[in-house]
Amino acid sequence: MGRIEFHQVTKRFDNGMEALKALSVSFDEGSMCFLTGHSGAGKSTFLKLLLRLAIPTRGQILINGVNIVQLAQRRLPYYRQGIGAVFQDHHLLAHRTVYENVALPLRVAGMRERDLARRVRAALSRVGLLEKERLYPRHLSTGEQQRVGIARAVVNRPRILIADEPTGNLDPALSQDIMRLFEQFNEVGTTVIVASHDLALIRSMGKRIIELHNGELRHDSLVASVADAAAGGGDT
Amino acid sequence: MKSPARRKTRQADPWGRRGFRNPAIWLTDHAMVARDSLAFVSGRLGTSVVVWLLVGIALALPGGLYLLQANLGGMMADWEGRPGLTVYFEPGLAAERPRAVRDSLADDERVAGLQLTSAEEALTEFQRFSGISDALAHLDRNPLPASLRVTLAEGLPVETLDDLAEILTGREGVDDVSIERTWMERVQAMTEAVRRLGMLLALLFSVGAVLVTATSVRLAIEARLDELRVMKLVGATQAYMRRPFLYFGLYYGLGGALVGSMLISALLLFLEPPLARLMGSYGESLSISGLTPFFFAQLLLLGAALGVGGALLAARQRLTDLDVLGN
Ligand SMILES: Nc1ncnc2c1ncn2[C@@H]1O[C@H](COP(=O)(O)OP(=O)(O)O)[C@@H](O)[C@H]1O
Ligand SMILES: [Mg+2]
Repeated sequence: MGRIEFHQVTKRFDNGMEALKALSVSFDEGSMCFLTGHSGAGKSTFLKLLLRLAIPTRGQILINGVNIVQLAQRRLPYYRQGIGAVFQDHHLLAHRTVYENVALPLRVAGMRERDLARRVRAALSRVGLLEKERLYPRHLSTGEQQRVGIARAVVNRPRILIADEPTGNLDPALSQDIMRLFEQFNEVGTTVIVASHDLALIRSMGKRIIELHNGELRHDSLVASVADAAAGGGDT
Repeated sequence: MKSPARRKTRQADPWGRRGFRNPAIWLTDHAMVARDSLAFVSGRLGTSVVVWLLVGIALALPGGLYLLQANLGGMMADWEGRPGLTVYFEPGLAAERPRAVRDSLADDERVAGLQLTSAEEALTEFQRFSGISDALAHLDRNPLPASLRVTLAEGLPVETLDDLAEILTGREGVDDVSIERTWMERVQAMTEAVRRLGMLLALLFSVGAVLVTATSVRLAIEARLDELRVMKLVGATQAYMRRPFLYFGLYYGLGGALVGSMLISALLLFLEPPLARLMGSYGESLSISGLTPFFFAQLLLLGAALGVGGALLAARQRLTDLDVLGN
């Protein structure tokens, strides 16, 4: 699992708002991509649909060829266990230690304690927080909290990692660090999709950029560069 | 771009149920959740005590009525003697007739006991009882009839007495058959009324107990909504998410049943002296049947079932469509 395809995906909310309009886009296994666009463009909706926290009104979402729109309710948890997710407001549990926060996805998946400890420590060392495992989230800086959230997202070794404005309230230097971290996970074969409206930051990463506008695909750097190449031009 | 057509992926299904394949892990997880939930319930002792009291009262009332109903029949039987009928023979009848009737019933399975009182015995009894021996001594003929008291065998319906009475009325020399039924019917009607009342109350109060636990479990769910959202996000199953709350329900139900047991015991202790006097048992204690360990075990089981039922109800309402990230 790792290849993601959206086919003509429309999401209309109960209030009639169309957050996505017949969106078609695909991501190769092991690729990395930034999702951008104005506030309300549909970035979060896109990620929610991918996590199957919402159901598209129309269209198909294929993960390695399997349409997850039709996934039975009881299989959803196992599907979600295969996707790591990071959010702006990190969603850490305040009354659990860093270690327990990171361990949560493994507990939920029923992993035995011995393997669990090894995995949690590996994830914490990847984000450089091994020595803070006993602390509670409130004792950490915002950047550190966000890294705990990332450790939690990758601890189950997902094939897909998604992030929604992961640097939303971090300063530029910290934001760079976080993005580099995602890059590292991508380098070991994880498909990574990061939603962010920080254009300067994501341009500096040199990865594919998809821009949404009112729920439609406005620009795809991958398609654009292919098109430009065909037209004899060049775009960096 | 690849075709969007759905491909056959039965064998490649990556998201089939995996869950806790290892029972040891499953058990460890249950033990952990059980312990954490106990800590939670005892940590909020104020709320828990109120829940226990409410569930306890809800269980004590039908439980107490059940005991009352179970004992009422027995108490009354001891009090008034066993049901039966009395055959009165014609006065002045030769003593052989009553004896013949008695002997004819000796092998009848419907009959538990036979006691013949001859006319002479009746007279002696009457004289001793009334003290007017002189007046009777002047009578040239014994005005009292011989009688036969027939006791109904245990476990038979009162209607059996009607059949017996019909046969006996036709016998030669039988003047009258009187069935001691009025008190029997009253006791039976009363027991039945108490039983039905108990069932109705049990039903109503069980619903009450379920709602009480459901409400408290719902509050506990509300208090941990953030945590549940994160759990759902990282792929927790419904069963995993509701497990701690089922344990809450279990503890609420069990605690309630314990309170209920104590209430019933206290109630009986309180009621024992007047009841003992009422029943004419002049000894100090009254033996209440049904107040066995089995009864208490049943009460605990019922409490646990109602508690878990309430928790399931709450979890169903609150966890099924739990929205994550405001979708
Ligand atoms: N649950 C919802 N109900 C109704 N409208 C929603 C809901 N969630 C999002 N929207 C609307 O859908 C549009 C896209 O929202 P979103 O995907 O959050 O955009 P972005 O993340 O790009 O800022 C917005 O106009 C937003 O108001
Ligand atoms: Mg958003």
